[in-house]
Amino acid sequence: MALPVLICDDSLLARKQVRKSLPESFDADILTAANGVEALTILRSQEIGLVFLDLTMPELDGIGVLEAIKQDGLDCFVIVISADIQPEMQKRVTELGALAFIHKPVNPEKLVVILKHYGLI
Amino acid sequence: MSDDWLTGPILEQLSSGVLVVDEEFQLVYLNTFLQRHSSVQLTEAKGKSLFKVFADLPEAWLRRKFASVLELQSPSFSSWEQRQYVIKLPHLRPVTSSSQYMAQNCTMLPLNNPSGRRHVCMLIEDATDAFVYQQHLQTTLQKLEQSNRVDGLTQALNRRYWEEQLKLEVQRAQRYQQPLSLLLFDLDKFKQLNDQYGHLGGDSVLIELTARVRGLLRDTDWFGRYGGEEFGIVLTNTALAGAMEVAERICLAVSSKAVTFNEHSIQSSISVGVAQLDAAGERAHEVLIGQADMALYNAKREGRNRVVSYSAGETEFQLKTN
Amino acid sequence: MSTVFSEEQRDCLQELINVAMGLASDKLARFLNTFVHIQVPAIELVNSAQIPAQFEAQYSSAEAALVSQGFLGNDGLRGEAIVLYQLENAHRIAALLGYDTDNASELEMLTDISSILTTTFLNGLAEQIDNSLSYSAPRVLSSRHNNMTEALIETACHWELALRVDISYQLIHHSFNCDMLLLIPGEAVLNIQQILDRIVEEY
Repeated sequence: MALPVLICDDSLLARKQVRKSLPESFDADILTAANGVEALTILRSQEIGLVFLDLTMPELDGIGVLEAIKQDGLDCFVIVISADIQPEMQKRVTELGALAFIHKPVNPEKLVVILKHYGLI
Repeated sequence: MSDDWLTGPILEQLSSGVLVVDEEFQLVYLNTFLQRHSSVQLTEAKGKSLFKVFADLPEAWLRRKFASVLELQSPSFSSWEQRQYVIKLPHLRPVTSSSQYMAQNCTMLPLNNPSGRRHVCMLIEDATDAFVYQQHLQTTLQKLEQSNRVDGLTQALNRRYWEEQLKLEVQRAQRYQQPLSLLLFDLDKFKQLNDQYGHLGGDSVLIELTARVRGLLRDTDWFGRYGGEEFGIVLTNTALAGAMEVAERICLAVSSKAVTFNEHSIQSSISVGVAQLDAAGERAHEVLIGQADMALYNAKREGRNRVVSYSAGETEFQLKTN
Repeated sequence: MSTVFSEEQRDCLQELINVAMGLASDKLARFLNTFVHIQVPAIELVNSAQIPAQFEAQYSSAEAALVSQGFLGNDGLRGEAIVLYQLENAHRIAALLGYDTDNASELEMLTDISSILTTTFLNGLAEQIDNSLSYSAPRVLSSRHNNMTEALIETACHWELALRVDISYQLIHHSFNCDMLLLIPGEAVLNIQQILDRIVEEY
């Protein structure tokens, strides 16, 4: 059964990159959002199993989305994918409930390792 | 076929220094140029700390530079214009200059050895020629400025040239029996202004105010900087009444509009002494300056931000008793 | 001559720059031992002739500085990177880098900071497009003693296009702004467009 996956990033290129990095074997129904507000609209209206989340976005950024997910008690895994990779930031998103943190540009092999680790593939 | 056979001869012949250190700043390589200039053999220096091999290095600064290269894996630079040399080496130029040491431009680059260990490679370019050239240029410019006529900051005439012109105009006025007047003015409370706004502020005020004054003068007038905040204007073909008018206009131009410096609005004013050429003889210009100066003194004494003319017959003796 | 990047090329370039900034900020954070946040709200492509006017208002006071550094890479990628900032901001980061901010070393401090900001960012950019860059020594074009606008005009007229990247550096206890201008000649712009197209196509 296909897993509903949301890719959230304000850059078209970045969304494409994530999509392309997903392994062939991954059965996913992919949705996209260009900012935090759009993302939350989708998350609140349907079941999403996994979110790939960028941090720097207009309207509502990645941190804002994580906080909202936590507050609403939404049930989904979040993997943060960001250009900003400092330890402080990683710590922060982990505290807010993110499962993992990958830095851009996305390395497909590393992604597979993470997906396997959490039993998503 | 690899190009390895090239690098040996090139490094040996290069008229720039090449130096490589590892992460602990121990010397790994020193090319022929450096070996010869510093009389250090690579064989004895290898493996030793850079700071022990070259005794006079700016150690703290260099360590910081190397650290940035190693950590950021980005190049770093040093120009002779900011720091004359990094390694103290005698230069071999025949030209005499104030320094016997080589001026250097340095480039520091990240470099990994085959095992992947990080190193820093420093390239040292001999910039002594440029250094010497610049020194000559400086001396020439200084001489030029002295023979120059203009005050660098305000663009008014410098004192020497202005006084020469005053003398000439006085002679001319005497010869052709034409009226001539002199204005001497001084910025009020300039020292306080400098204290409050700094020298940059003081300078800004001087520049702006002299520009304003210049705008009110004719091409035939001579505007010069007499002292730090003191200026003189020679008004050719002008009698006292006319000179007073000009003086009043200048006084108003200064006091009516503040000078903006950074975000400050600086109000200023001047005191002006005016005198018309009266005396005869060779020292007439000196007498004229003395008279205008007395009038200026009175303007200050009477409260500043005003114009006072010299009263005929007034002497210092009279001032003292008043 | 006006060169326009397509929407896709723009988006691609913006993303490349964001990632480059992320890589640079990470390096700087480790080096300065502090948290560094670099924000790049948007990039702007402008005709070089427009540059001086844009910066005049912001940097017209005597306390601004302008440092330039040339870069050269493969496939015709080259240009000049100019960093503009208020001097008081420069003093803050200099303190972090361990400089004594006396006037004698002010020029040195300016060139060092600019070089670090420029090369870490451009290296990050080059990395992503499989290129590598070499740099010329940084030069101070204008500082507290010179006229900034004149220097800017003189430099800008040699280049066709300018990529204006407004960078805001935030360190944990301080924040300061500076502007970076990447001046690129016409031929290099074409190369960049090709590179961007290639990347967009890959995905």
